Amino acid sequence: MLPLANILARKVRTTVAVLAVGVGVALFLVLVGLTSMLREIADRTTNVDAHIMVMPAGGPALLLGGGLPADKIEARLRAIPGVAAAIPVLCWSLNMAGRDQNAFGIRPEDWPYFAGPDRLVEGRPLAGGAEMLIDTRLARAGGLRLGDTVERLDRRFTVVGIAREGVAGRVFIPIDTLSECLQNDSRRATFFYVKTAGPAAVEPVREAIANLRLTAFTLDEYYAKLANLLGDMNRVIGAVVVVAGFVCFLVILLTVFTMVVERTRQIGILRGIGASRLQVFGLVLAEAGIILAAGILAGFLLTLAARAIILHVQPLWTIDIPAVRFAYAAALATLGTLLGALYPALRAAGQNPVESLRYE
Amino acid sequence: MHIIVETRGLVKVYRSDGVATPALGGLDVAVAAGEFVSVMGPSGCGKSTLLYLVGLLDTPTEGTVMLAGADTRGLSDRERTRLRREHIGLVFQRFNLLPTISAEENVALALRLRRRPVGAAAREMLAAVGLQDKRRRRPEELSVGEQQRVAIARALVTRPAVLLADEPTGNLDSESSDRVLDLVARFHREAGQTVLLITHNDQVAARAERIVRMRDGRIIAG
Ligand SMILES: Nc1ncnc2c1ncn2[C@@H]1O[C@H](COP(=O)(O)OP(=O)(O)O)[C@@H](O)[C@H]1O
Ligand SMILES: [Mg+2]
Repeated sequence: MLPLANILARKVRTTVAVLAVGVGVALFLVLVGLTSMLREIADRTTNVDAHIMVMPAGGPALLLGGGLPADKIEARLRAIPGVAAAIPVLCWSLNMAGRDQNAFGIRPEDWPYFAGPDRLVEGRPLAGGAEMLIDTRLARAGGLRLGDTVERLDRRFTVVGIAREGVAGRVFIPIDTLSECLQNDSRRATFFYVKTAGPAAVEPVREAIANLRLTAFTLDEYYAKLANLLGDMNRVIGAVVVVAGFVCFLVILLTVFTMVVERTRQIGILRGIGASRLQVFGLVLAEAGIILAAGILAGFLLTLAARAIILHVQPLWTIDIPAVRFAYAAALATLGTLLGALYPALRAAGQNPVESLRYE
Repeated sequence: MHIIVETRGLVKVYRSDGVATPALGGLDVAVAAGEFVSVMGPSGCGKSTLLYLVGLLDTPTEGTVMLAGADTRGLSDRERTRLRREHIGLVFQRFNLLPTISAEENVALALRLRRRPVGAAAREMLAAVGLQDKRRRRPEELSVGEQQRVAIARALVTRPAVLLADEPTGNLDSESSDRVLDLVARFHREAGQTVLLITHNDQVAARAERIVRMRDGRIIAG
């Protein structure tokens, strides 16, 4: 009652403090959310039923265009003992749903390597010709449905299948169709996926591929590389957390300290009418606590709003924020607030009541 | 005669920046339960100092305050707070009320701080000081005289053994001043409230049963 009334008596200052806490919380959560994008890409890539990625020597540069003669390389790869399958992929950028998408040109018969049987939620796999298979997210973002046609690369593609998101690409088209569109005289590939006979064969196969003057790395390595990147991002987030927490601490310190100083006499009155030091301490903390609670709530709402706006503008982005991160953000804000409110609260509680009463 | 407040050889010397200001120089005063006493003296003679010491808001340099039979010498802040809660109701000259809450909440706060149930007590107390209609108003929406009546209601809602009032009419015109003093006198007369009223004004002091006169930190009469 009293703490709330005190806080509401200073609307502008309270609003600023609440927003400072809220923006800190939201900044942290949105950044955490953005890292899920990297994880989504990593997951998609490693969902392919293969072990090794093969690129032109010096790669992986730009994953685009036909740098490799597909049939020749495939034959060489298959000749390596321990190779179970070599899967050529020709990548090309297609504008879909308002964004450039990395379209995967694949052989229709290779589809099972990209997706298990229950991945296809509508339609059928590619058969050949001007066909297109997309994932559910692109379907949603682009408003595409089965049977829709899309004019790209001077061809009219028909959407024949929709796969549940999580497959390596968001757009698949037959590799021969894509090669033709790009006016290659023979089938070309940007990179290969190689499936080995088993885990034990992965290392020897990779060495053999390296001897062909091609770049090869395992999907595990690829995943680890992305995880490293994720680690770097988490360090950035860690720095943001420290800064946001410190700003929260400073704003609360300043706000609560000002509150305490401008109410010096009232604290004397409170002691006079029976408040203990502990009760004065508790009153100050309660006021900080109300700012904190409002700040956390504001932070959560800001986060959800920011997420909605980002996903509206960038429908294919991934912003997943686990519930535990919300709890973590709340805990951090609480820590900053407690530390910020502690000194003013102690000072208020320790004030000599007589000096407070003589202060006007 | 039951003595409720007694000071024994009360000395207070303020020290600030190495300067010692003697405010009380060995003061003995006793107030019996049910008595209405005023302490009269010129400004700066140590009246407020005496009130803060009796109200256990400050500690004497020497001597002691006996409150309801208990010697308060050497008590911790926590113990002094407990005794203050139990026995003392305080009213100051001005800015008595917390400005962000209503008159009724100001009165209720005295009970809440003691973890006592509020119920209808705050409202009834405001009715007793004639402010039932203004109980939802905030202090700034009340006249200064009304604010002082709310302060008296707040001081008395906890049924303290002693009401300590420091120049409660010092900021009031004579009409509001009379109303406040009538109120104090009525609580004394009808409920047997013990009152220690501090003032520098003869007419105000004259409302009490007994006048204690002070000068330079000592009692000169009464
Ligand atoms: N905190 C303080 N530090 C130094 N001197 C003080 C302090 N408080 C009061 N005094 C001095 O003590 C004397 C008594 O003050 P006070 O009790 O307020 O008198 P009164 O209430 O009768 O006007 C005055 O000379 C005053 O200046
Ligand atoms: Mg005074």
